[in-house]
Amino acid sequence: MNKWFSSIGLFVACLLVIGCGGRESDRGDGTPENSNDDKITIALLPKLKGIAYFTSCAEGAQQAADELDNVELIYNGPTTASADKQAQMIDKWRLQGVDVIAVAANDPAVLSESLKKAQDAGITVITWDADAQAEDRSFFVNQATAEAIGSGMVDTMANDLGGPDAAGDVAIISATATAANQNEWMKHMKTRLASYPNLNLVATKFPGEDQNAAFQDSQDLIKKYPNLKGIFGISSVSFPGAAEAVKQAGKTGEILVTGLSTPNDMQPYVKGGEVKTVVLWNTQDLGYLTVYAAAAIRSGELKQGATEFTAGRLGKKLISGDQIMLGDILLFTKENIDQFDF
Amino acid sequence: MKYRREASLIVLVGALSFLATLFDASFVPANAIDILINSIPTMIISCGVMLVIITGEIDISVGSLLGLLAATLALLSSTAEPGLGIHPYLAIAIVLTVGTLIGLGTGCLVVYGRVPSIIATLGLLIALDGAQDWLMGGGDIKHFPQELRYLGTGTTIPINLILTILVVAGTGLLCHKTALGRRIYAVGSNPSAARLAGISVTTTKLFVFALTGMLTAIAAILWVAKLGNVSTSTGAGLELKVVTCVVVGGVSIRGGRGRILGVVLAVILITMIRTVLNFMDLGSEAVKWQRAIEGVMILVAVTSDHFTQRNQPGGKS
Amino acid sequence: MKKFAYEFFLLGLICVVLAIAAFLDPLFLSSDVQIELSSEIWELGLLTLGMTLIIITAGIDLSVGSAMGLCSVSLGLCMHANLPTGVCVLACLATGLAAGALNGSLVAFIKVHPLLVTLATYGMYRGFAEGLQSATTNAPVDASEGIKALVTGNFPLIQILFTALTAWTAILLGRTATGRGLYAIGHNEEAARFSGIPIAKLKFWIYTYTGLLAGLAAISYSARRSATAEAGLVLELDVIAAVVIGGTSIYGGRGRIAGTLLGVLLIHETRQFVDWYWQRSELTLIVIGTLLILAVLGHRFLFAQDPDTH
Repeated sequence: MNKWFSSIGLFVACLLVIGCGGRESDRGDGTPENSNDDKITIALLPKLKGIAYFTSCAEGAQQAADELDNVELIYNGPTTASADKQAQMIDKWRLQGVDVIAVAANDPAVLSESLKKAQDAGITVITWDADAQAEDRSFFVNQATAEAIGSGMVDTMANDLGGPDAAGDVAIISATATAANQNEWMKHMKTRLASYPNLNLVATKFPGEDQNAAFQDSQDLIKKYPNLKGIFGISSVSFPGAAEAVKQAGKTGEILVTGLSTPNDMQPYVKGGEVKTVVLWNTQDLGYLTVYAAAAIRSGELKQGATEFTAGRLGKKLISGDQIMLGDILLFTKENIDQFDF
Repeated sequence: MKYRREASLIVLVGALSFLATLFDASFVPANAIDILINSIPTMIISCGVMLVIITGEIDISVGSLLGLLAATLALLSSTAEPGLGIHPYLAIAIVLTVGTLIGLGTGCLVVYGRVPSIIATLGLLIALDGAQDWLMGGGDIKHFPQELRYLGTGTTIPINLILTILVVAGTGLLCHKTALGRRIYAVGSNPSAARLAGISVTTTKLFVFALTGMLTAIAAILWVAKLGNVSTSTGAGLELKVVTCVVVGGVSIRGGRGRILGVVLAVILITMIRTVLNFMDLGSEAVKWQRAIEGVMILVAVTSDHFTQRNQPGGKS
Repeated sequence: MKKFAYEFFLLGLICVVLAIAAFLDPLFLSSDVQIELSSEIWELGLLTLGMTLIIITAGIDLSVGSAMGLCSVSLGLCMHANLPTGVCVLACLATGLAAGALNGSLVAFIKVHPLLVTLATYGMYRGFAEGLQSATTNAPVDASEGIKALVTGNFPLIQILFTALTAWTAILLGRTATGRGLYAIGHNEEAARFSGIPIAKLKFWIYTYTGLLAGLAAISYSARRSATAEAGLVLELDVIAAVVIGGTSIYGGRGRIAGTLLGVLLIHETRQFVDWYWQRSELTLIVIGTLLILAVLGHRFLFAQDPDTH
């Protein structure tokens, strides 16, 4: 019997030690059950944790939460871009009784059921970064539509390759073949590519989340298509993978890589010349705006039908329908990339 | 025929090369070196896992371990936030030590804790993956010092390839030419007989697990040197690729049998499938099935010689 | 009592987890929350039933999660084509049966080691699921009302089926000649062969059964979320962990359904609570991995009667 008690004791001790360690290192991860009634608990759900894009969004969100003294911010997300894991988190937050859930949706269809239940439970649901089905949320904090992202990347590439008459082969390196956001972007990229008759999309590759495979795919494309002029790296794994492959193939300047990334993350390749232009928006502002909007919607300051909204240091932001617009897409180049730090 | 497996692997590698040559006449000269270089992490780790499997155990934690070690190296040596920017050689030494110690710890769990190796390393696979994500925190880490990147991208001499050849040759010598190698095989084919013959099963197993940890550290260092970027997904899924390569290379999953040559050929075969498919004009629809095609090829490779050998006496896997 | 000592130990651990939960956040233990969170347990539970049988014969099936993804996609295709609910269900279960039967025949008749077979089919089934989805619907398919009714309606078929299958599998394992045959195979396959146990038939049967369970799990998952190739991703790790924590020996020959059920509960409650309270996805991984190793260590040092080293 003694052995039993000691081992159970050990187990408890382990859990508590892990637990205390975890609690101490949390930044801003307040648990909602401690919140007073006048506090607004906002749960911010990224597509996945651990990539620079969402980490910088979270930093901006935390700034906003610090400015608004009645807001408590929870930031957590899955470790891979899994819609199922997101749905599990939404279910838990609903049960814990948070006030607002702000979701960057990995997949509208998979999340729909959980979001509906959350709304039925009286929780304010908004989306940011990537939208869910329109009836599953009240507002969408829109930094750019899938269409704007898709055509933005194509226009940037064409522009860097010589404008409307840009000519040559281009290729896309995506994530997995079933990644919903990437598939949506690709649809619009293909539409947009049609307006550049001399740009020829020769291949689309799906290396998944595997860095080595993304590198290998880029390397093979560079060799297989001698007339290759541009590569779109449209995931956080394939963008640096493609840039590194171009660099190591000695094709810097001959083959351009573009995609979505924070300026800090791709800065070495922009400086190196493999990437001429990185397309993005101010991710910190996106997180900041999301938290301001969430608080305003919850407290009733911001209602359907409003046409503008003041968000702290960002000033006035336009609202079109049920979409709160972040505003300009930013283009980072060698010249301006050092001015941004996120 | 002793080298039956090796011969069939060579035929398969040849057939794939031929197939690719039909689409691009210069496939082999243009890609041979790159395929070898791309196979480096799998190759190095396969050497260790092969020894582990020969002793009758298994290690499926190597993918997460590589990720954790790559994250450690990145945090120690990266010159930008959040890296500490310590001297790359010191960082490499630390990573090698940590890798060996974790491997040794795995060995202790198996040998002294008597936890079945597949379960111990499954637990580590899950836990180390979490630890890697925890350690990485915010996002990718880049900005590595030139001394480190040189190991992976030194243009005139591929240092990483030379290191890999040394590791493979060393493993081959260890297996087939030394007393320790004979002990590894003895432990795997019949542990009680090995014990009676005065071989320490404990020490032998501890050695192969520690060696696998160290080889994983080398692979992690070369991975960072080659790709110049560490993310939370670094190393994910590598353990399955490694185990696949080892068994396709003819190492018996029940222990006691297997040769380095078969494993090397299997690593090359499985790495080149992707490149061959990339060079075939799959078209925009077929490319979506690429992963399924790879899966079918691996299933065929794993099961093929059971179809031909199944009626022979003693033809165990 | 002595026979079920390990099961009581597991029960004790579950109580400890729940006690910690009660101490840190009583809300977690409220029946509403527990019932809501339990919707995730059915798929894990279903798959562990088959996995227990397989591991008892010293086998393993790494492909269950991928097979579930493939089943979910085939269910989605049928729903997309507006086929009647019965046809959708049959197609989904047939896909699972076929996936399981492929594993089973390679293991049983061609005699390839189960780790190798299912390692290969793990990648292959997921590859087919992703290929099939992106080549046809190119997006997850929302579950039809008919499918939803099976799982969340007044007559929750999956839960009832799970209970029935659990009872059936437990009786099969503990009370029948088939069950004794499975233990015998795991204990010593040579000896089992000499005592006339139909090894190949039994092995083929348990892998196929597990495939069928993957089909059922896919229906449950698709009704809750939607039919997608992502279904069951990395679930095989939880399934194997639950079975092993439940006291089934990975070397075969030892294990009980009661232990497996407790293993499922322990993993489920631990995962849910760590997720619930600390809100750190990476911490959950660390805790589950450690729990697996500690449980097996505990089993070794507290309950080791037979030194079944390999």
